[in-house]
Amino acid sequence: MQIVQVLAYGILLGGIYALLASGVTLIFGVLDVVNVAQGAFLVFSALFTWQIWDMFGIEPLLLIPVMGAMMGLIGWAIYRGMLIRVAPQGPGMTVLLMFGVALTMEGILNLGFGNKFKSVTPAYFTQSLNIGEIVLPYPQLISGVLAIVVLGAIYAYLRFSWAGRALRASSQNRDGAALVGISHKKAAGFAFAIGAATAGVGGVLLAIMYPIFPATHYEWIARLLGVVVLGGFGSIPGAIIAALLLGTMESFAATFVPQWAPLFFYGTILLILVFRPQGIMGSKTREDVA
Amino acid sequence: MKHGKLGARGRIGALVASLAVVSLVASACSSSDGGSDAATGTESAAETTAEESAASEDPIRIGISLPLTGDFSQPGGEAQKGYNAWAAVTNANGGLLGRQVELVVLDDASSQEQVVTDYNRLINEEKVDLLLGTFSSLLNYPASAVAENNEMVLIAPAGGSPKIFEQNFKYYFFAQQATAPNQANPFVATIAALPDDQKPKTAAYAIQDDPFAAPVIESMQAQLEAMGVETVYSEMYPPETTNFQPLASAIAAAKPDLVAQGAVFEDGVNLVKSMIQVGFSPNILFQTSAPSNGAQFTDAIGTGNQDGIFYAVSWSEKAPTPGNAEFLAEYEAQNGPGIPAEDAADAYAAAEVLAAAVTATGGLDNPTIMEWLHANPVTTILGELSWDEIGRPQGEFLLAQWQGDTVNIVAPAIAATTDSITMPKPAWK
Repeated sequence: MQIVQVLAYGILLGGIYALLASGVTLIFGVLDVVNVAQGAFLVFSALFTWQIWDMFGIEPLLLIPVMGAMMGLIGWAIYRGMLIRVAPQGPGMTVLLMFGVALTMEGILNLGFGNKFKSVTPAYFTQSLNIGEIVLPYPQLISGVLAIVVLGAIYAYLRFSWAGRALRASSQNRDGAALVGISHKKAAGFAFAIGAATAGVGGVLLAIMYPIFPATHYEWIARLLGVVVLGGFGSIPGAIIAALLLGTMESFAATFVPQWAPLFFYGTILLILVFRPQGIMGSKTREDVA
Repeated sequence: MKHGKLGARGRIGALVASLAVVSLVASACSSSDGGSDAATGTESAAETTAEESAASEDPIRIGISLPLTGDFSQPGGEAQKGYNAWAAVTNANGGLLGRQVELVVLDDASSQEQVVTDYNRLINEEKVDLLLGTFSSLLNYPASAVAENNEMVLIAPAGGSPKIFEQNFKYYFFAQQATAPNQANPFVATIAALPDDQKPKTAAYAIQDDPFAAPVIESMQAQLEAMGVETVYSEMYPPETTNFQPLASAIAAAKPDLVAQGAVFEDGVNLVKSMIQVGFSPNILFQTSAPSNGAQFTDAIGTGNQDGIFYAVSWSEKAPTPGNAEFLAEYEAQNGPGIPAEDAADAYAAAEVLAAAVTATGGLDNPTIMEWLHANPVTTILGELSWDEIGRPQGEFLLAQWQGDTVNIVAPAIAATTDSITMPKPAWK
């Protein structure tokens, strides 16, 4: 029964990792930008969730659309205001730009919220659903279910809507997409906005699970990049599989060998990359000389 | 033709760049224990700087590096408030040696590398007269080497890991009552004094791999085992651990009477929340550091759940120690209503120690200040502090317990603010 319990923790954790990492991989897939500010976006959303919850007592889960839209707008503004100018300089410059954005956001949050942990504690934050001997904490359960819903919505949007198809087209062949009238800049701005919006949703979920303070973003971006690298840069299904795998590994390690949990997390990534350097669902690509 | 999607070289470039950034971040937030080799400041600036500035009427400049950003920015920010309160009180009372004091504060971003750079800069470029310590053993460990190499006294508000004292430095002083391995002594003594029917028979230990938190609990475990308390669970976890449900489930399965956690903050909160979620409430719960964060702690675990939790603490707002009321008033004036965090009080006390030594020696000569501190006790808001030949404090920590909505000191008896102990811990609310 202990194994089932640990597996349940792992799957819930993996679902949350999948949602948080999906934005990073979507942005990379369309823009070729490694968004190292995604962790800062998460914390930004989480702290604003706390602020609204603290002031008005609104059920935090109701803030998911608000935070998603707010971070989507911020993401779009960052793309249009900064990233669009730096992107032609190459991936190295965009990483540095986004690192700068992350530090700036941390500074703003430090000024606005202070160096104190903030906790969102709705009535269910310490409650659990008990199924026989299996315990499923409500914050993790709700977050895991919402992660599946949001990921499903993103997948359906990319798969079945015209705008989603345009995004995928631009991701797969920028020049070819342009030939049929798809503006890469608009597609990229839209993708960045969706990626940032997932951080808006993820931030709400983080806020009901953990105490948050501005520097927390360092912890999260390291994990999210691990998930994205393992899944294959640019692949949302890959990120989901990698997140579930890593969440389960982390849960088992935390139960049986807690001290070695990071070794299991990053060791799994290393081991798989040795045999599949492009990640679980990443595709081998080449760059032809013009 | 160049593909719209990034080619292999571009992808590798992006990956390398992002890994470079992440490793930068990781090193900034590093939790490793090493790192003092970079402490290479060699010029002994202390004497000349002290002589030059003593002759002037300029303010006495005190250099401090603090983690104002990064992993330790929460306690670092509290420490800054404590230092600021001390500077304001001191200046309002006429300053030190008749001169005003000025704090020169740099941000070390919670990085062991940056803290070395900061203290070298404070000594060699800013030419400060005196130094005060940064926050945590992790950062004071490399900082102490810089101070020692430059023969400048470094009085640390937090930094009681045994690892620091293994260096046998003369200029480093830890301004709390006891080093980490001795912090749990009052708790162990309290357990030993319980009636037999209340004594725990089994205990579980969850320990963050932190140079300060770990020695506290490891020492407690050894002492309790010597008393016959059986260890049914003992695991160390890395600082970046966020998901504690697996640990809580494992602890609950072992059914210990007593749970002790070597926590910092977030991990302390998350373990309590996880124990509530899995429906396990130990009879006795001790945590390092986390419960000392007042409302931040109670808000995070749910008000009411703090009842009965023990923690070792250096300071109490109720303590009748000299200067405590002045500290509380100045802290409130600067930061608004609310009880200061222990970290703020510790910083205030560290500055009091420095001020006492400067006043007693009548100057800013660091070797003289160092000699004086090794030979004399100092009265602070934490009580009387004294040190051995390598800067280890010689006193006893306080044992605090959340009792309802307030914190009481329950041991040692001489400092106790109540004679009752909540035992066993009430069930979670």
